[in-house]
Amino acid sequence: MEPVFRLTLGQLTGRWRIVIMAVLAAMPVMITLMVLGADAPSVRDFETAILGTMLAGSIAPLVVLAIAGAAFGNEVEDRTLANLTLSPVPRWQIALPKLLATIAIAGPFMAASAFLTAHVAYLGDARASLAVAAGAVAGVAMYAALFVWLGLRSTQAVGIGLVYIVLWEGFFTGFVAGARLFSIRYYAMGVAHAIDPRRFASADLLGPAAAAAATLVVLGGFFYLTTRRLRTMDVP
Amino acid sequence: MTAGDAVIRVNGVSRWFGSVVAVSDVSFDVRPGITGLLGPNGAGKTTLLRMMTGLASTSMGTVTVLGEPVRDNPPLYRRIGVMSEHETVYGFMKGRAYVRAMAKLRGVKDLERAVDRAIAFVDLEDVQHRPMDTYSRGMRQRMRLAATLVHDPEVLVLDEPLNGADPRQRVHFKSLLERLAADGRTIVLSSHILEEVEQVADTVLLIVNGKLAASGGFRAIRAALNERPYHVRVLCDAPRELASAVVRLPSVDAVNVDPDGAMVVLSRNVLDLQVELPRLAQRARVGLRRVEPLDDSLESVFGYLVES
Repeated sequence: MEPVFRLTLGQLTGRWRIVIMAVLAAMPVMITLMVLGADAPSVRDFETAILGTMLAGSIAPLVVLAIAGAAFGNEVEDRTLANLTLSPVPRWQIALPKLLATIAIAGPFMAASAFLTAHVAYLGDARASLAVAAGAVAGVAMYAALFVWLGLRSTQAVGIGLVYIVLWEGFFTGFVAGARLFSIRYYAMGVAHAIDPRRFASADLLGPAAAAAATLVVLGGFFYLTTRRLRTMDVP
Repeated sequence: MTAGDAVIRVNGVSRWFGSVVAVSDVSFDVRPGITGLLGPNGAGKTTLLRMMTGLASTSMGTVTVLGEPVRDNPPLYRRIGVMSEHETVYGFMKGRAYVRAMAKLRGVKDLERAVDRAIAFVDLEDVQHRPMDTYSRGMRQRMRLAATLVHDPEVLVLDEPLNGADPRQRVHFKSLLERLAADGRTIVLSSHILEEVEQVADTVLLIVNGKLAASGGFRAIRAALNERPYHVRVLCDAPRELASAVVRLPSVDAVNVDPDGAMVVLSRNVLDLQVELPRLAQRARVGLRRVEPLDDSLESVFGYLVES
């Protein structure tokens, strides 16, 4: 699996991609620093707007989409995927390093962003910061599993991913309570809440066990679909 | 498996994309040596090769390689090397790193030695530590061949490997293929350039409009086309006099004298013409300077098949 992992790291760590990720990851921290003043929002408003909508619902999926969509998408587009699929290894040994490389690239940016944002907002509360960072990493992993599969499934992965982020994670789940049962954003917030129950206390979230189970189902489900797709697809 | 057994067996294979039939009911066996898969662009060669390597599924029919189904059979890839027609490489990687990565992916045990051997085989030791986006097109193709060979596969499938190669690189590539075939490997080489295939392939598979138009040795294919008139060009001292005699032969369909003085004979029985032409020339006291078949190239056979 190591050659695929290294190859993917090399493919996905172009200078511009890293710069854009760094800028996006810095935004929640900057905005939090700006709003912390005389008219600072309440904890509830901050968690809803900055952590929930901005970080978990917009920036994290956008960053992961930029990386994960290209994990297989670039190879489908430039027709180098056959280099991997013509290997005498089970297909999961191609899918797993792709997923891990995506998480390894996007994860640290989003974990650092979440940790610093929470650290600033919660005035150095270590548990709260770690909980939010853990939720961000869980979100990155779930989004990565989804978008890695999408990159293999469609040549329009970025467009479809954007529609999903804006319409589903950004719009429907914010207004329709039932839709949150199928929202990666809310699963990620559920993980943070499970580690520090004070966080997102007012949100309508899954319980700790359900959040953990949902994370595993999303990860496992899309990983299975990716592996299956590698077995059945016509490789260009 | 004995030496005469088919290494690749394509049995009743069809492939369609919606209403477009790319490959239609194709069957053939490939044995050790070099087999040329020939056809014009869009004939279905690449689709066929992708099915032969398991990269694409068949709509109908089966493909086996070394006795096993090739589709969804990753362990079989230890014994197959595939070089696709797409020349894209991982530009950020150095040539050696690329070959090494492919060797690792294919589970090569003695890694560094295998990489050394493959790079030496394509004669690219000098540039192996350069990023591949600095390579010429020919160098990229050769490094891709090194990556294809690094796990020492028994079966090689090469899709348009000479695309973009200059004449010197073509000669080099041809000698590489001949060395590989001499080792007992089974090589399938596709091309739409007829002389490439004619020069290296022992056996030819002609694909036209998704169908197998002909197969076998080049000469066997030629012989199978006996129904087709052959063009023979004759250079002589007095073409008009000789033409008036030749046109009376029962094996001759037509005779033309070109403005440059060359006589072109259209015959359905070249053997008869070979015997009668010198006799007629002698009788008419006409000196023969040159007699050459105009159709004895794969290109003319191919052109005929495509037209028909």
